Amino acid sequence: MKIDRVELQDSARRIFAEGALMPDRDKSWDSIVEMGWLALSVPEDLGGLGEEREALAILHMELGRVLAPASFLAAALAVEAIAGAEGFAGREEWIGRLIGGELVTASLGGSAAEGETALSGTLDAVPDADKASHVLMASETLIVLVPTDAAGLSVAEQTIWDDSRRLFTVTLANVAVDDALVVSRGPEAARIIEGLREHLYVALAADSLGGAAALLSLTIDYLQMRRQFGRPLALFQALKHRCADLKALLDGAQALFDTSLAGRTGLPIDRGSEAGAVMSHVANTYATVAEEAVQLHGGIGLTAEHHCHRFQKRALLNGVLGGTNDDWLQVVGKQALERLG
Amino acid sequence: MSGTADLKGLRQEVRAWLEANAPKDWREAATDQGRFLEIQRGWFRKLADAGYAVPHWPANWPGGGRSLGEQKVIYEEIARADAPRLILTFVSTYHAAATLLEWASAEQQAELLPRILEGELWCQGFSEPNAGSDLAAVKTKAERRGDVYVINGQKTWSTMAQYADKCLLLVRTSSDGAKQAGLTFLLMDMRAKGVTTRPIDQVTGDEEFAELFLDDVEVPVSARLGGEGQGWQVAQSTLASERGLTLLELSERLRGSLWRVGQAIKGRGRQADAGIQRDFGQLVLRVEACCALADQFLLKRIAGEEKVGDASIVKLFYARVLREFTKLGLRVEGMAAQLREPITYGGGQETGNWMADFMNSYAWSIAGGSDEIQRNIISERLLGMPREPKDWKVPGNSL
Repeated sequence: MKIDRVELQDSARRIFAEGALMPDRDKSWDSIVEMGWLALSVPEDLGGLGEEREALAILHMELGRVLAPASFLAAALAVEAIAGAEGFAGREEWIGRLIGGELVTASLGGSAAEGETALSGTLDAVPDADKASHVLMASETLIVLVPTDAAGLSVAEQTIWDDSRRLFTVTLANVAVDDALVVSRGPEAARIIEGLREHLYVALAADSLGGAAALLSLTIDYLQMRRQFGRPLALFQALKHRCADLKALLDGAQALFDTSLAGRTGLPIDRGSEAGAVMSHVANTYATVAEEAVQLHGGIGLTAEHHCHRFQKRALLNGVLGGTNDDWLQVVGKQALERLG
Repeated sequence: MSGTADLKGLRQEVRAWLEANAPKDWREAATDQGRFLEIQRGWFRKLADAGYAVPHWPANWPGGGRSLGEQKVIYEEIARADAPRLILTFVSTYHAAATLLEWASAEQQAELLPRILEGELWCQGFSEPNAGSDLAAVKTKAERRGDVYVINGQKTWSTMAQYADKCLLLVRTSSDGAKQAGLTFLLMDMRAKGVTTRPIDQVTGDEEFAELFLDDVEVPVSARLGGEGQGWQVAQSTLASERGLTLLELSERLRGSLWRVGQAIKGRGRQADAGIQRDFGQLVLRVEACCALADQFLLKRIAGEEKVGDASIVKLFYARVLREFTKLGLRVEGMAAQLREPITYGGGQETGNWMADFMNSYAWSIAGGSDEIQRNIISERLLGMPREPKDWKVPGNSL
């Protein structure tokens, strides 16, 4: 990483101050564009900073900490797809437009439409499609930008429990593929998509780590402040030990994530499965922290007014966007059994 | 820190050396304490001569000065070769060495550390029947008489004390003030008059621990580490080594032993069982997280960024994962694990005798500060939660 970790974190916290939860969608986006975050991972010859995923992970961690909207994640995926498509004639122009703040969104659920010249199907979990100019559609053999006002395209909001994000379904009914907007086809497209998947996993994992850390500290603050039986709840050993267990669990997940990002793990599984497996472990840890956090807050944790449930809902959504924990554990177990014993 | 190429070279070197030198069939051979001692002593001597026994020691000692990356390579390869873990010398090369390096004079170090490499064995005399988790409640008394302390009392849970030459001894020199302030740290010769050891029969059938009975044992004042009343601080160095440094080796070992669980799963024909696949997948990730945690912890320690409580997280995490590891093996083996097979003496935590391994896993959740003590430390020191009030009293003397 060329940028200093702490510096990047600090600049993120200047816009997304700790504790200022659920920032406004439009204001967040404007600040992100202004800070140049979209240029972070763009190669230097295209006018970007050429940073690796570590840098993006730091930003996603900060966004997770404050329960920020999801447009940055979708846009960052679009940036990566376009930057990686060396044969795309519109590459430079589009990178410029994206860095400049034009919102291109993408499915976080990995769904795609079918067809080569005309597209049909439904993309789900598409953040902020109501504000986006284009949707990046990525099937295994085709990556294409589709204007959100294209004939045959319709956008509908998905009502989700997580109210820190807005997700949409984008339905395509025989939408013509504009050749000028084809980002990539064939083997290159497949390779780019592989990278996008990993990017999504890293982002979801980082978001989960940031959220879990913020929530654990929120919970401990509450236990310190809330008094019952003439003493702070934080004095009760039964509660202290549960917090200690959560802290250990979270530190373990963070260490696993960091080590994986640095390419230093020794997991007995395919390299291609690692980011997803680590993401799932981390997202599951977030869900555990959230489950305990609501219980430790008691009644106040069940009120809509308190932020506790927002973290929990986001944690649970993170736990399915990149594939369920059940599926990932099975992938890891199966592969490890093939290699060990 | 060494480059990747250097590490590759070291890995090849260690692997080749292990192929030629690692004891084979030691698991079958380690059927009693006598054979166990023979295997352990022989293996330690070989490793020490080759410079692989104490990679975690500082560079000015033979075999020391290895980078973290190098240490990991060595531990990984030893685990991979399924060579015995150095259980007999564990307290000597970790606890004793860490304590001596921090508190002993240059002369004491020059005298005692080389002897460890020659095979001198240390044990730890900390816990007592009434001072376990509440270690500061130690009652064993040391009375100063001229140039010696005269010791009377009883110690327990002392690993391998029945074979030890020397003892890291925590004693009470004063009953005034805070109980921590009355403690003193001594280096006791186990051959001194008045020292009696009695091995403790364990649930597994092994005898890894012993009780120590001390009757008018004389220890020279010159064998004291730190000042009189500084024993608690010195003891923290001993405990910190157990909670941190050792766990790099142990977590690498755990990862290197995952194949045993895999073998158990396949042996029972359960490899296509989705539930078992998930449980194994979860274990694999937890073990990896444990290795990553130990790794990060040591990097922090080397960089001088370690916080009080960091080591407790690693120890707690390892103890939990070790339990999960042994429990999955136990579960998968079913009735077969209930048949009492001979144990491998000194086989470590992962021998494939699942009932013994499972019961042995408590060593890590109880010894060296129980999980509950680690949780106290984590919540109070790292999370800033308040300590319990000190004025809690029951009738009678709490010491």
